[in-house]
Amino acid sequence: MNAEGLESFRDFVDSRSSALLKTAVLLCGGDQHAGEDLLQNALIKAAGRWQRIDEPEAYVRRVLYRQQVSRWRLKWPRREVSVAEPPEADGAGADPAAATELRLVMRQALSRLTARQRTVLVLRYFEDLPEADVARLLGCSVGTVRSTTHRSLARLRQLAPELAALGSAEAERFGSPNYSPAEVRS
Amino acid sequence: MNVDDLVRDTLREQAAEQAPVATGFADRVLAVRRRRRTRRLAAAAVATAAAVAVAVAVPLLDSGKEDVRPSGGIVVEKKDTKAHPDQSPPREEISVGGTTLAGYYLPETVETSSDTAVYQRTYHLLDPKTGKYAKAADWSWVAVAPGMKTAAVLERDLPVSRIGLLDLTTGKVERWIQVEHDVAGLSFSRDGRKLVATTYTKNPDLRVRTEGSDDWGQEWTSSRTGFYVLDVASGKGDWAEVKLSSDPDDPMGGSFLNSRQDFALTDDGRHVWEGSPTEPGYAFHDLRGNKVPAPKGDKYLSWFVDAGKSPSGKLVAGDFAGKKWTTSSYVVDALTGAKTEVRGQQLLAWVGNSKLIAWDIDKEGKNEFHQRLVLVTVGSEKTVPLSGFRVGNDGDAGRWEPLFAQP
Repeated sequence: MNAEGLESFRDFVDSRSSALLKTAVLLCGGDQHAGEDLLQNALIKAAGRWQRIDEPEAYVRRVLYRQQVSRWRLKWPRREVSVAEPPEADGAGADPAAATELRLVMRQALSRLTARQRTVLVLRYFEDLPEADVARLLGCSVGTVRSTTHRSLARLRQLAPELAALGSAEAERFGSPNYSPAEVRS
Repeated sequence: MNVDDLVRDTLREQAAEQAPVATGFADRVLAVRRRRRTRRLAAAAVATAAAVAVAVAVPLLDSGKEDVRPSGGIVVEKKDTKAHPDQSPPREEISVGGTTLAGYYLPETVETSSDTAVYQRTYHLLDPKTGKYAKAADWSWVAVAPGMKTAAVLERDLPVSRIGLLDLTTGKVERWIQVEHDVAGLSFSRDGRKLVATTYTKNPDLRVRTEGSDDWGQEWTSSRTGFYVLDVASGKGDWAEVKLSSDPDDPMGGSFLNSRQDFALTDDGRHVWEGSPTEPGYAFHDLRGNKVPAPKGDKYLSWFVDAGKSPSGKLVAGDFAGKKWTTSSYVVDALTGAKTEVRGQQLLAWVGNSKLIAWDIDKEGKNEFHQRLVLVTVGSEKTVPLSGFRVGNDGDAGRWEPLFAQP
């Protein structure tokens, strides 16, 4: 990288890293250190071809998502993320407290999904991307995105029975997810 | 409220709590990048390492005088050193103290369709009669035995069902070893008597297009099946299956490996080992392919550092250090793990027990990819240039990758 490239790389990192780190930490199920590692690796990869990248942010994000999915394939010990135990409901059942409690339960459940499941949920519900965009970013089919979303939400319900009272998401209402072998494997 | 609303709220709340990135993050990234350069996942470093058990007397190089050399047309040929600081890639023999640049290859990613390609190597091997490097285009893989008399070769279109034993003095294949399981990687034992062949069902050098980019990446699945340990003299040997571990939680059903992750014998010939992109960075097997704990003297091996263990087995060439000098590497005590820093960006081959051939950048150090072969000495600041500088950036076509043979 020449001096000009270095300067624009530094500018990019200084201005965009905080936003990118938010996504990275979510992809890692709330694990701050894992999120920093993930972002660092994506930026290292981007630095290697900095002057050939047209849209740095899109590039780094794509590397983040894909790297996270492939990291899940690494036999790294899965770090359990400690989340404070939700406070016991005191019976009064005030709404704000109950909502906070549910979000804590959800946080814990999200951290226990596989990285691929979590990545799909982050892309769908945090980045608000349509299924087709998620499929393009992850290099899989729309059917895979749909079935992974379906399975991820089902898994969340399994991990946290407290979610039973919640209504179904649109993604859960499909008759049956696409389980054709090619879809499941891609 | 629906479950997706809760997912959305939870993720947003979690994101909002996130503290901003600390200042200096860009510099941290750049520093780590420099350190990790040698660890590129795709580097098939282990398989190219060839060493010999006999400790050689270290020739005393008259260092100092040669430190600064004009870059044009100078051939340094004295005692045990043949250097060509003006040649890149080298045309004439480079060797120090018996450690010889047996050849080099030029890598190229050749497109086979709009979204697939093959990473191919074009070898140039030293012809001992002329002392020059000549193209050897027939081979997709070459491993040179210690002593520089024989090389084991694989033909194009990996994996292949026979291994050639090439006589380097004639350039002809003397013998073919037929194998039942197809092979795509080779590595000689330290004494040159055994050959480890890694078996795959698909070409491990296939590349696929990364979505929406012009980059090629390796495939996410491994087709590796195991290894042969072959006796070079008789061509006989057993195949050992090494199953890929699979993760029951993983609907894609795979464990993570580089698509090419070759096996090699440990220096004592008692184990077969492989590098790994995941901690602790390697795995050891007995000769039948059963996993074993890391042997005592081998636990500091870094598979991505080509030089490996010193001939005496006391030191292990380690990772990039970069503390004492802009570019330097660690040399690690094989038993205690104690580290010493030595000059050199990337350690490639031992020359006796206290010197190494390494890649290093020039003194100004502006471009980390502008490297040449140098001789470095443990406990000394001096470096002796052996080749000209490589041009281009990492991954560019035409950057030569060296192949060393021990005496």
